[in-house]
Amino acid sequence: MNMRRFTHRDRKDRDFAEEIESHLAHEEDANLARGIAGNDARRQARVRFGNPRTVREQVWRYRSFPWIEDLWRDFRFALRSLAKTPGIAIIAVVVIAVGIGVNTAVFSVIDAVLLKPLAYPDPRELVALVNTGPRGNFPGASIPRFSLWRQQTSIFQKVAAYDFGGAGLNITGSDHPQQVQGVHVSADYFSMLGAPVIAGRTFTAAEDSPNGGHVTVLSYGLWKSRYGGDPKIVGSTIQIDGQPYLVVGVIGSGFVTEAPADLWVPFQFDLNSKDMVFFFTAAARLKPGVTIPQANAQLRLVADQFRRMYGQNSLPPDGSFGVVSLQESMIGDTGSRLLVLLGAVGFVLLIACANVANLLLARAAARKREFATRAALGAGRVQIIRQLLVESLALSVAGGLVGLALGFAGVRLLLGINPGDIPRIGEDGAGITLDHRILLFTLGVSLLTGIVFGLVPAISASRANLTAALNENGSHASMGIRSGKLRSCLVVAEMALTVVLVIGAALLVRTFMNLEAVDPGFSMHNVISMSISVSGDRFQTTAPVAQVIQEGTDRLLAVPGVIGTGVSNCLPMAGGFGMSFDVVGRPKGSPDSQGGAGFCSISSGYFTTLKIPLLRGRNFTRQDDAAAVHVAIINSALAHHYWPDGDPLKEQILIGAGAGPAFAEGPRQVVGIVGNTHDNGPDTDPPPMMYIPLAQMPDPETALNSKVAPLWWFVHSQVDPHTLIAPISAALREGSGGLPVAHVRTMEELESANIARQRLNMLLLSVFGFAGLLMAAIGVYGVMSYSVQQRTQELGVRMALGAQASNLRNMVIRQGMMLTLIGVLIGGGGALWLTRFLASFLFGVRPLDAISFIATPVVLSVVAFFSIWAPAIRATRVDPMTALRIE
Amino acid sequence: MVMKRPPEAGEILQGTLDMLILRTLVLGPAHGHTIAQAIERTSENALEVEQGSLYPALHRLEDRGWVSSGWGTSDNNRRAKFYRLTGKGRKELNAAAGRWRRMTRAIGLVLGESFEQAGGDRR
Repeated sequence: MNMRRFTHRDRKDRDFAEEIESHLAHEEDANLARGIAGNDARRQARVRFGNPRTVREQVWRYRSFPWIEDLWRDFRFALRSLAKTPGIAIIAVVVIAVGIGVNTAVFSVIDAVLLKPLAYPDPRELVALVNTGPRGNFPGASIPRFSLWRQQTSIFQKVAAYDFGGAGLNITGSDHPQQVQGVHVSADYFSMLGAPVIAGRTFTAAEDSPNGGHVTVLSYGLWKSRYGGDPKIVGSTIQIDGQPYLVVGVIGSGFVTEAPADLWVPFQFDLNSKDMVFFFTAAARLKPGVTIPQANAQLRLVADQFRRMYGQNSLPPDGSFGVVSLQESMIGDTGSRLLVLLGAVGFVLLIACANVANLLLARAAARKREFATRAALGAGRVQIIRQLLVESLALSVAGGLVGLALGFAGVRLLLGINPGDIPRIGEDGAGITLDHRILLFTLGVSLLTGIVFGLVPAISASRANLTAALNENGSHASMGIRSGKLRSCLVVAEMALTVVLVIGAALLVRTFMNLEAVDPGFSMHNVISMSISVSGDRFQTTAPVAQVIQEGTDRLLAVPGVIGTGVSNCLPMAGGFGMSFDVVGRPKGSPDSQGGAGFCSISSGYFTTLKIPLLRGRNFTRQDDAAAVHVAIINSALAHHYWPDGDPLKEQILIGAGAGPAFAEGPRQVVGIVGNTHDNGPDTDPPPMMYIPLAQMPDPETALNSKVAPLWWFVHSQVDPHTLIAPISAALREGSGGLPVAHVRTMEELESANIARQRLNMLLLSVFGFAGLLMAAIGVYGVMSYSVQQRTQELGVRMALGAQASNLRNMVIRQGMMLTLIGVLIGGGGALWLTRFLASFLFGVRPLDAISFIATPVVLSVVAFFSIWAPAIRATRVDPMTALRIE
Repeated sequence: MVMKRPPEAGEILQGTLDMLILRTLVLGPAHGHTIAQAIERTSENALEVEQGSLYPALHRLEDRGWVSSGWGTSDNNRRAKFYRLTGKGRKELNAAAGRWRRMTRAIGLVLGESFEQAGGDRR
């Protein structure tokens, strides 16, 4: 396109006006030459040329983008017109901002969790290696599996192993020892994920083999915070768990991992190991062009090979290996949860749209004469609709901008308070950043919103009957039956949407209340938990660990205010380790001779400190040490399942048979039965559990355990345990010979983290439901008070004819409640169908919960009733004389 | 909406005005009034230039770079805007004239044949 056409329009137009004058002068000259007299010569020249203004306009329009210019003109007019009713404009912008804000907030979480690719090069090639079976996929790897997976070079470029830094490592050898997240990795881990090395290098294959020496790679964060970003740290040694470790490299700040890491140390697997224990996770980078189904097909063959190598029982009958995309494996089931939230905020936005459409309908009714005048002056229907749409778009885009700021700031604030167990959002929601997807989403939603709430009023306004509108007296221009019906429909829709939203919120509130009411099976009052890591060479056998427990317990009990203390290698509510067991003496192969249960090693004070009741038999004592008879305590879930009639206290169990050399041990006498604990969260049944004394663990098991889990200490005090943190930590540090104490939290804090997900769901839906309720109330109030205002005259006539004030009031209330009831019925029907999508988020309440379905409509109707009350009272105050004199 | 109506004699076929203007300017620079007069006079008053459409056409030609313009003084000693053919305009004129000749020849062939046949039938 030739852009010269569109430039310097004003100058060219003036120039053209002059040119026309010149032309007319020449024509006049020619006429004079033909012998036409002076005035006539001039007149005829003008007649011949036609209207100069028309020609100028023609050229002017030729030099313009008509579509854009019209839009710009409409936009400026829209701003002027909105400025005339600033109240309506501000309310509309605020309502839209709330509607769009909640959508932006939820979308920004969806963006960070589901849409943003992983921050590694070629993230589509990255897969998590999983074990497959009829009950789904689960991650986890043993050395023999990892070793075999690594050999599949036809599908994988690289396979790497990593753990989640479970046990923690202690940086020692300076004034302030520090427990850090030390993640174990195999040598290929960094190159597989494309980690940026900013100093030194990562681990060599030799360093990642048995006896490869003590080496570590530091994270950017630890390098900055503990070593002041000193580049000379590479090549020097630091003390970890009392051993010198050579720092070989530092990773850059952009490297974000699934589990946060302060430093990395190599696994140093013995790849010939036959140890079948799962204690780490594996991921791989696919070869370019290899698809996930292809990799899965190959891995099924690998599973067969695995069975041939390690025996038929090395894998469950239906078990196999497979891959899922790494991103998918990180997200888990969060996706469906976020989509439910997106649905909920969609409802909020629809309610906001209905509300604003109502406002605009009222405004359009008041501007009827304006539109009629414009139509009389030649504006087409399309032009009037366009004008009104531009007005609503101006509102919605303004609302969208405010909503973007609101939603974005709001979601960060909310996740800072309650991260709600959502993966990939980083510390306090820091992983949520503004990007083009969020901007486009908000823009799209804003435009769509503007069209949705603008179109109905615009079309209805453009239908105006010219003569009727112009002849009507402006002060009581009735809104017309059609637009009155429209507004009623909008209120019904608002009510219906709100009912669905509030019923959803009510179900989640009831879920949360049920979860909080679940007795976890242990006491949390005045109990604080903390961890110490026993990861060093010092703790490769059971005796020194038992020693630390003994001394630490004694020191803690000496702290004034401490009533009891217990130690465990697993955290209640976080779930123990799964382990197989055999009931000694039952015939092999019978269904109750063998099973699996949660497995936890504890100190003698564990049950009393957490007030887990001893139902039968005896508790562990200090005498249950390595030299004594090996004993176990089971919980009542396990006892009921395997000894429905018999007495477990007369029997022995063999724990961990076949689980690998680390767990090889003799049978244990069952000496007690304790109460159940909800270890997998309050919403699942308590799992069967086996407990053994920490002091009776086989040495290899202790060595493995020290690597994967810290020791958790629980201290029960008479007073608020927060006040005792300092003396407790000091006592524990002394008792353990200087090990740092970390993860100090009360049990109540742990519990609330445990139901953070449900708490966030409930919080959000309650906020959405409340916002919807408020908007619906405003909507019904607006419609009824407007209709009362419009019917002043009618009401006056009724009064003059003898209607009682109470008649008029009841009439208005009846009409308003009618709308409410229709809305509530429709909404209830919608909720009947929609709540099924909430089923998997509920606990202890069915999707068709009677209380929610009865209480919500009642509450809504009451709210609506109060919204209608004020306009109804106003109807009774109509003075018949004034009302009639208006005419 | 512009109504379509059959072109009457003397009205210039759509699209041909540009070509006629360019042709007129081959003789030398001219202002709008002279261009209109020249077209009418050369066509022995068979063609009448609607003065309202002359100027939009001139401005369009100028934007396309086929003519250039500048203010000057006319024979009548009046200020007038003169248009001058550019190199690009000359090329366009040749192309347009070629297209026009090919078309009129084709139309002539079609018309001529049918006239002969019509005449033969009558005989």
